[in-house]
Amino acid sequence: MPMKGRFPIRRTLEYLQKGEIVFKKTVKIMTVNYNTHGDLSEGARKFVFFNIPQIQYKNPWVQIMMFKNMTPSPFLRFYLDDGEQVLVDVEGKHHKEITQHVRKILGKSDKVLEAEALAKMELSNPANFGPKKYFLRECMSEVEGQVPHPGLVPLPKEMTGKYRAKLAAVSDD
Amino acid sequence: MLRALSRCHDPVFRLLAPRSTVLVETVRGRKSRTDPKAKSKLGRIKTPPPVDPVEMVVLKERFTEYNLILRALRLEFKEQVLRKKYEDEVGSAAEERAKREAEEHRSLMAWNDAENLRLRKIREQRVQKEAEEAEMKRREAVLLRQQELENYIKEKERQIIQLQEEAKDFITLDNLDQRIEEALDNPKNYNFAIDKEGRIVKRTAFQ
Repeated sequence: MPMKGRFPIRRTLEYLQKGEIVFKKTVKIMTVNYNTHGDLSEGARKFVFFNIPQIQYKNPWVQIMMFKNMTPSPFLRFYLDDGEQVLVDVEGKHHKEITQHVRKILGKSDKVLEAEALAKMELSNPANFGPKKYFLRECMSEVEGQVPHPGLVPLPKEMTGKYRAKLAAVSDD
Repeated sequence: MLRALSRCHDPVFRLLAPRSTVLVETVRGRKSRTDPKAKSKLGRIKTPPPVDPVEMVVLKERFTEYNLILRALRLEFKEQVLRKKYEDEVGSAAEERAKREAEEHRSLMAWNDAENLRLRKIREQRVQKEAEEAEMKRREAVLLRQQELENYIKEKERQIIQLQEEAKDFITLDNLDQRIEEALDNPKNYNFAIDKEGRIVKRTAFQ
């Protein structure tokens, strides 16, 4: 499968998961107005090209729209839950500056993200056994160092029930 | 395993599912419904195990007590979880948290507005500068055009004057005879060579 597009790294999971911006719950729509030519829109163009995939991956329920060549200067507009609109001017900025700015005003902070990850971990206890879909292991025999399943590896003679029964019968006699 | 399979994402619903129902399915084993009973089991009369009444009474009491305690514990834990959820969403701490978040949001919006203002000032200055430059260029262009026009006019005038000067030496019908006489009287010798500087180097004799 050949690589598609100019910077196919943008399509890799690793790149997408490295996205920094996770929006707060109140952000519903994000709109980017930028121009295809011109020096001042360069940062906005790069932002759209490199960072928007990461943002959409991390926020699948936020609607992101791009508008080209509608206004002389580029800007971002966020529409929040309570009807508030946040305007961010990005004329002449570098795309990294834009991401940091957006993260500061509308992104969840590191502490909040960590707390959320911790809460999510608490839901799934690795010590539980059950179907592979929900838990790590189904049976104790899958753990390293434990007695393996007799269906895969035959048990040693001394552990089988019939040998023990035979021994018990012989010792009784 | 059944519990895991029927897991809902909302833990509250999971907790409130009835726990008194028996979660055992009947298992048929190897034979189906239509298979007849085994011949060895023809005369078998299944009798339940005998019950000791004294033991029964004692066990019943113990079991009621045990069930009571366990049920109480379960309900306690359920209530704790529900209370925690309620507190998270609609509680005193939640209100403070919401207020704090609103404060932070306001401050961040203010910071964003300040940033926008700063960029706006820069943009206005740039636009102003560009307008001035355009104005200057326009004026210069006008001047240049004027200058060119004047130069053109001057050149044309010079050419007219030069022509007038030359017109004095033209050969007309009046002085035709006179000029012919002059030409015949003064033969011109064009047999000369020049070097790169334009000076005449050699002259050969007129023939």
